[in-house]
Amino acid sequence: MQKLPLEGIRVLDFCQMWAGPHATEWLSVMGAEVIKVETSNRIDYMRTVGAPPGMAGTGPNVGSAFASLNWGKKSITLNMTTPKAQQLAKDLIKKCDVVAENFGGGVLERWGLTYEEMKKIKPDIIYYAGSGYGRSGPHKERPAYAEIVDAFTGATFANGYPGGEPNVIGVSPWTDGAQAIHGAVAMMTALYHRMNTGEGQYIDAAMIEGHANFLGEMVMGYIINGTIGERIGNRDAVMAPHGCYPCKMTGDEDEWIALAVANQKEWESLCRLMGNPDWTKNEAFSDELKRWDNQKELDKYLAGWTQQYGAYELTALLQKVGIAATPSFSTKQLTHDKHINARGFFKKPNHPVLGNKVLAGLPIKFSDYAAGNYHTPPLLGEHNDYVFGQLLGLSKDEILRLTEEKVLS
Amino acid sequence: FPQNLPHPEKSGLFLFLNTNKSGITLNLDTAAGLKIFKDLLKWSDVLIEDHSVKEMKQLGLSYAEVKKINPSLIMTSITPFGQTGPFKNYKGNDLIASHAGTESFGNPDEGVKEPATLPPLKVPNHAADFMSGLTSAACTLGALLGRKNTGRGQHIDLSKQEAVASITRQQLAYYSVMEETPSREFGRKKFGGFLYPCQDGYVVIWIGPHYHLVVKMMGEPDWSKEEMFANPLLRNNYIVELNQLITAWTMEHTAEEVNALALEHGVPCSLVRSVKDLVGDEQLAFRNFWREIDRAIAGKLKYPGAPFKLSATPAAIERPAPLLGEHNEMVYCNMLKYSREQLVRMRQAGII
Repeated sequence: MQKLPLEGIRVLDFCQMWAGPHATEWLSVMGAEVIKVETSNRIDYMRTVGAPPGMAGTGPNVGSAFASLNWGKKSITLNMTTPKAQQLAKDLIKKCDVVAENFGGGVLERWGLTYEEMKKIKPDIIYYAGSGYGRSGPHKERPAYAEIVDAFTGATFANGYPGGEPNVIGVSPWTDGAQAIHGAVAMMTALYHRMNTGEGQYIDAAMIEGHANFLGEMVMGYIINGTIGERIGNRDAVMAPHGCYPCKMTGDEDEWIALAVANQKEWESLCRLMGNPDWTKNEAFSDELKRWDNQKELDKYLAGWTQQYGAYELTALLQKVGIAATPSFSTKQLTHDKHINARGFFKKPNHPVLGNKVLAGLPIKFSDYAAGNYHTPPLLGEHNDYVFGQLLGLSKDEILRLTEEKVLS
Repeated sequence: FPQNLPHPEKSGLFLFLNTNKSGITLNLDTAAGLKIFKDLLKWSDVLIEDHSVKEMKQLGLSYAEVKKINPSLIMTSITPFGQTGPFKNYKGNDLIASHAGTESFGNPDEGVKEPATLPPLKVPNHAADFMSGLTSAACTLGALLGRKNTGRGQHIDLSKQEAVASITRQQLAYYSVMEETPSREFGRKKFGGFLYPCQDGYVVIWIGPHYHLVVKMMGEPDWSKEEMFANPLLRNNYIVELNQLITAWTMEHTAEEVNALALEHGVPCSLVRSVKDLVGDEQLAFRNFWREIDRAIAGKLKYPGAPFKLSATPAAIERPAPLLGEHNEMVYCNMLKYSREQLVRMRQAGII
């Protein structure tokens, strides 16, 4: 019996930075064997990002950003500018189901690894190419910086407080996050098709096209009515109150609560919970439409009440009377949160540099499989012996020679 | 809704989210309705639902029950905080998921000048809902692939909070490993893309390793040679000052002028565009991204195409979003073999 759903699938992974590695991380955590290709001359930049205090600049294995994006993968070093390395890559492709990359342009092409060439080596190969703007068209060479892509598509325009300016998005769900999971979905869709027909394919995934989907309601609003939308912050098109309010500090960080009142019944529950203060009897707050029209004033009154409680305490009180609420978590607060920890969301990497400082797992919970492949994120070149020796059958001497010749480097 | 006139068959969001689906009506509060639902489960590969744990149990449709009906069924349950843990019965929505997953606490990226009065900011549109939906699709596909080998069904417990928190994994790692406690104060952001106001709009510029190009674009002003800015090891400490100086320059130009200069000099930059520019964008047009669909009542409209291009199985919109109950006859008569007369009675009894 399989311990994980993608056991037996092998991926050759040239992805770097965020969106690409996280896409293949999905496959890795679900049990695929993902072999990450880097070269010491140009390691994945994320290997250097988020080092423990005092460890920055001390080598390729210090990046917590890298670790959180590469759970369970294997790492090899292969200097693809050498002909021998290109041949070894071809030998590996023969043994793989998927090749994935997210270079800013046709880097694989320069190494002689076009889709046509790969098909000659492995007729049913699946080739995933992720990029900011796609591999065709006038913008195909543009780099995919998240903040730039957000501005390009309209996400930044929509991000801000009511009546305020646009703002750069904190952690954009549209750029790297969506691109990564769209990529995982695309690769699995291709694998499904291959299981049915034996046919491989080429996937060209553009971040801006994922954006145009994630921004679907805004896109349809423009297409249907010519409206470009406005910044509404924490507010809703229909509900009020619907926002984020200050709470009492119970630790060393400020605390906030987000809450949403969906209908009159919930509003009445909220009033009872607050002890029916006089201001709630104001005509301006008497029904759904009036509350929405007067939400600025409503929010002020409500903030006066929420401030008396800690965020957890108030969340429990509100949820008990059937009102949707949550503390607005900082990363620190979430890391220590009892609920998400009870569900085992954070995992220990058992890593020689990072130790057992917890990292986010993936939001995958199957009833009848193991929790996931959360093997230690790989050290640079950690699996050269396994991949070149066991998979490709090179002798120890050959591996040593190719390492000295800077091919496996 | 066209011209802001509400109509059950004209919601733009509904039309977009439901292309290629069939649509039936079925009342699970009737005994016959529930029985039909269970018959459909025998026929299905996947059941995807976003009811509360309690509701599904009350309906007799918890995974334990469903598994008895169809052991190879994959059931994907989407809830605000997941099926287990102290918050498992908590209610939520897009706002709640955005704040529960830490995405709002870190928004806006630059921080705010009045952190006491400007709260953590939900990311716009229904990003948390979309992320939860996409994450559910990925999990479901994984289970389907696994089933090809084992034939076994599966329950997927999807927490919207976790779907969002997963995207903040890099920031979560910073706290865990560097004990970097996030602040919401303006100036907290030290590098990356920043927003710059211009005479008539905004641009975002990504300085990073491109400082020399940015400086060249601005005509190499004297201040740009100061050690505090020119030295990349010092620059992040003076990012607020640097951005003030760049803003003084961008404010002398229109956004289009800055964007054109940036592209000419190879500086990563974009206008802060609205959705109008996205819909009219030349790159998307070149890639044949948009799809035109003609649908009863709503009429002919342009829709976003697929978020990725598959060469062997290109995305196709075979049918528009269903009208309410459009496929009742197909499902109940053709598939489940109820007669037309029964269909009429089912309608009159409030079963469908």
